[in-house]
Amino acid sequence: MTGTLNLVGYGLSAIGPAIATGMIFAAYISGVARQPEARSVLQPIAFLGFALAEALALFGLVLAFVL
Amino acid sequence: MGVYLASEDGFKPPSTADFNLPPVFGDNPFTTKPVFLAFFSVILISVFFILSARKAAVVPSKFQFAGESIYSFVRNDLARDVIGHEFMRFVPYLFTLFTFILTNNLFGIIPFLQFPTMSRVSFPYVLALFTFVIFHYVAIKHKGLIAYLKEIMFMPGVPKPVYILLTPIEIATYFLVRPLTLSLRLFANMFAGHLLLLVFILGGEHLLQGVIGLKLVSPFAFAFGIALTFFEFMVQCLQAYIFTLLTALYIAGALADEH
Amino acid sequence: MSEKTPNSGDLNNSKNEENALWSIVGYLLSGLVIWGGIGWGVDQWLDTSYFALVGLLLGAGASIYLVWLRFGRD
Repeated sequence: MTGTLNLVGYGLSAIGPAIATGMIFAAYISGVARQPEARSVLQPIAFLGFALAEALALFGLVLAFVL
Repeated sequence: MGVYLASEDGFKPPSTADFNLPPVFGDNPFTTKPVFLAFFSVILISVFFILSARKAAVVPSKFQFAGESIYSFVRNDLARDVIGHEFMRFVPYLFTLFTFILTNNLFGIIPFLQFPTMSRVSFPYVLALFTFVIFHYVAIKHKGLIAYLKEIMFMPGVPKPVYILLTPIEIATYFLVRPLTLSLRLFANMFAGHLLLLVFILGGEHLLQGVIGLKLVSPFAFAFGIALTFFEFMVQCLQAYIFTLLTALYIAGALADEH
Repeated sequence: MSEKTPNSGDLNNSKNEENALWSIVGYLLSGLVIWGGIGWGVDQWLDTSYFALVGLLLGAGASIYLVWLRFGRD
């Protein structure tokens, strides 16, 4: 079998952001379910957390191709 | 597993080469299976909706009901809820897009056809190009070229030097990443789904030809392949929905006034 | 369904939420690609090797800032 180890590394590094995104939206959904009027307060926080976690995943994706 | 199968003589794991089908007749790239499937889907959709709308009655037949529920789903849930009061202008496009993508995706699991047209990347590219042209045209018509470009490039409430950093990102997002992600999402889902089914079905068939221990394992591979077929059905419907929904959202964004 | 006319600013709608998530991914991706690409180009031009990393970090920072501007502040 041939291939590059970069992609294996990217696969491993994507686990972290994946778990993070799951936890962020789990907390967001349960928060909105308990208190629907809190949606507008929680939404920017959830989106920013998602952006930070996703930035790491995309960073790994780009580095897997660059390095 | 992968290493074992590769060492076994004869088994070739499915690869991207499985998507390059030979032409049905002649020697050109225009007579391959996906092209015929695309034409076939157009005929299928036309016949279905013409027949379901021809004998329209107040108390609908089952056939009419099926056609009308698809139409009202696109019209009410996608177009009206997302775009707002000017939605009727865009319903024909959204409806065509939804039915075309859905039919072509479903070809992936219909026996004997079994090839999702959208796993050839040019089809999603062209569909995304249509959406791209339409939503920019609508925005330019609605807001004027200068105002639209200004809205894209310059976020309000930012100190001036930061625009050097942000404007390239905004331009790239609107003119490059949006149509690209729109088409690649559809393409990648169909491609990966078809490859997944190929792995399980072809792998199961290969196990069946092995020694007795392998023969006993192969029903599990087939069972998993069948379960994944139902999963694929869900993914195919979802991708058609998401493509249409994002098109509607882009049009809605083009029509929305600055605030 | 609701009678109000939704627009892109109305985020109390799961469809707009979906849109927001995809545009966040789009912003982050284009920020990294554009500024990382510029850094890589500078590297090729000046025969250095660190501007690509600087560009990637700059792009990630700028796109997170842009996401904050679009979706974070109210």
